[in-house]
Amino acid sequence: MKSPHRIRIITNNPLVKTVLSDYYTIEYYEDLSLREILVKVRDLVYSGYELFTHPMAGSVKPNETMFKSIVVGTDMKGVEIAHCNLMMNALITCDKFKPLGVQYSDYHIKDFQLIDYTLLCGALDFDAIAGLSKANF
Amino acid sequence: MKLELGFIKINDVQFSNECAVKDGILYVNPEDVKAFIYDNDDVKTYIKSITLDIAKPGESVRITPVKDVIEPRCKVAGPGGMFPGVISKVDTVGSGRTHVLKGAAIVTAGKIVGFQEGIIDMSGEGAKYTPFSKTLNLVMVAEPVEGTKQHDYERAVRFAGLRCATFVGALGKDVEPDEVKTFETYGIMEGAKLFPDLPRVGYVHMLQTQGLLHDTYVYGVDAKRIVSTLLYPTETMDGAILSGNCVSACDKNTTYHHLNNPVVAELFEQHGKTLNYVCNIITNENVYLADKQRGSDWSAKLAKLLDLDAVIVSEEGFGNPDADLIMNCVKQEKQGIKTVLITDEYAGCDGKSQSLADSDPLADAVVTAGNANMEVVLPPMDKVIGMLDYVDYCSGGHAGSLRPDGSIEAELQIITGATNEMGFNCMSAR
Repeated sequence: MKSPHRIRIITNNPLVKTVLSDYYTIEYYEDLSLREILVKVRDLVYSGYELFTHPMAGSVKPNETMFKSIVVGTDMKGVEIAHCNLMMNALITCDKFKPLGVQYSDYHIKDFQLIDYTLLCGALDFDAIAGLSKANF
Repeated sequence: MKLELGFIKINDVQFSNECAVKDGILYVNPEDVKAFIYDNDDVKTYIKSITLDIAKPGESVRITPVKDVIEPRCKVAGPGGMFPGVISKVDTVGSGRTHVLKGAAIVTAGKIVGFQEGIIDMSGEGAKYTPFSKTLNLVMVAEPVEGTKQHDYERAVRFAGLRCATFVGALGKDVEPDEVKTFETYGIMEGAKLFPDLPRVGYVHMLQTQGLLHDTYVYGVDAKRIVSTLLYPTETMDGAILSGNCVSACDKNTTYHHLNNPVVAELFEQHGKTLNYVCNIITNENVYLADKQRGSDWSAKLAKLLDLDAVIVSEEGFGNPDADLIMNCVKQEKQGIKTVLITDEYAGCDGKSQSLADSDPLADAVVTAGNANMEVVLPPMDKVIGMLDYVDYCSGGHAGSLRPDGSIEAELQIITGATNEMGFNCMSAR
């Protein structure tokens, strides 16, 4: 498990909040869309906070999943152009995908939460399976 | 390292009371296959039932949701066995002799985690886009025990598919191949002496490793835990690399792709003629940005250490891996190593949008494997192996993708192997 110091997780995924709150600083935005999470992180990165995880992680496309969790720093470190470009490209990519019009069931929504959560755990070297057991997911 | 591949041409697959390969026909007793598959704790624990079916080229058959495709092979000489570290012991493979049931494939199907499995049509418009419409497919549909978690189910289906392929592949052990081909790469000094005037070329093979359900295994090791390292190309032909992921169907590298990597095949074709094929460098596609830097730094370091003149880089997936692709390209180019990239595109249904999520002026030699956003209409099929319940939710599908008459309107993403980024597809890479 990666050190929880000097990082925070920007997320709209309730599963991430439930499992990882005991270990990491979570900024949970229940009402933000995936795109709005990207915008929030972009603004943080543009203002000098470090980006730790790729904003386009996972194979599920931005017009499919509604959940996104991204790890950023807690301290202003100065603007990283490469990270700014990553966020800019992530938003361009996000806007490229047209809405699918699919009504997802709770079952599918849980699948999306799981995928976002497991990708984040992979990045943090956190035992995703143990976390799921704890959350009774 | 030298490997002989003995190709046994399979012209038909039939269910039978026996299991054998005779006169180019693969006979399979489904009960024997299932008994072998079930001789595994994960399979026993998490898979309630397995159904075997056969799908042949030209038939009006749709297979969905497809997880993996595996070619049946068997080691007949040399160290180790197929799929080392998972099915066989972890001995180093890639030398000796391996028999291949050419033309046959094991397809695993069953819903695992929403959205990420694909479609194989054996005829019609969809068949044009998947290489697995041309193979004789033994299809294994798995049904999970109720309450099974997705990651447990994925592992169980992965093991079941590999065990199925191992059982079927072993039927070719004592069969005389129709054709034998030899593949050999040399040590650094030996290769340089043999081909002093040829450019030294390597293959940077990027593996999907973003997290649970997005994994690839190398000798049984979860590749997101590795640093970039070297493989003899022939190791891949014996199953050293396995797919363990549930990502978009079109650009997933199935285990079949890893066994039949077209980049490896083409480099061997030119080996000793126009170039000296030195080795493969495997590297991962992690989510943590520091991992990306480490992975691409090490790929570049290894290429320099090996005095390579050029590398081909292939990726798996879209978005996050595009960053690794460009990092691998830029770092190689900056140290004077020429790169050619293989990728696919998500360029919008009209093909006019930005294709990749990252780019750089140094990426000036790129081969596309097609636009995954391209829309296709797949006609209804007489028979479905698996289930159609997930078509609207799979990547590439949308509300109403599955029409009342059984036809499907979707993006190319939904077809297994349609835009494979090794170039093993029917689009533009060749």
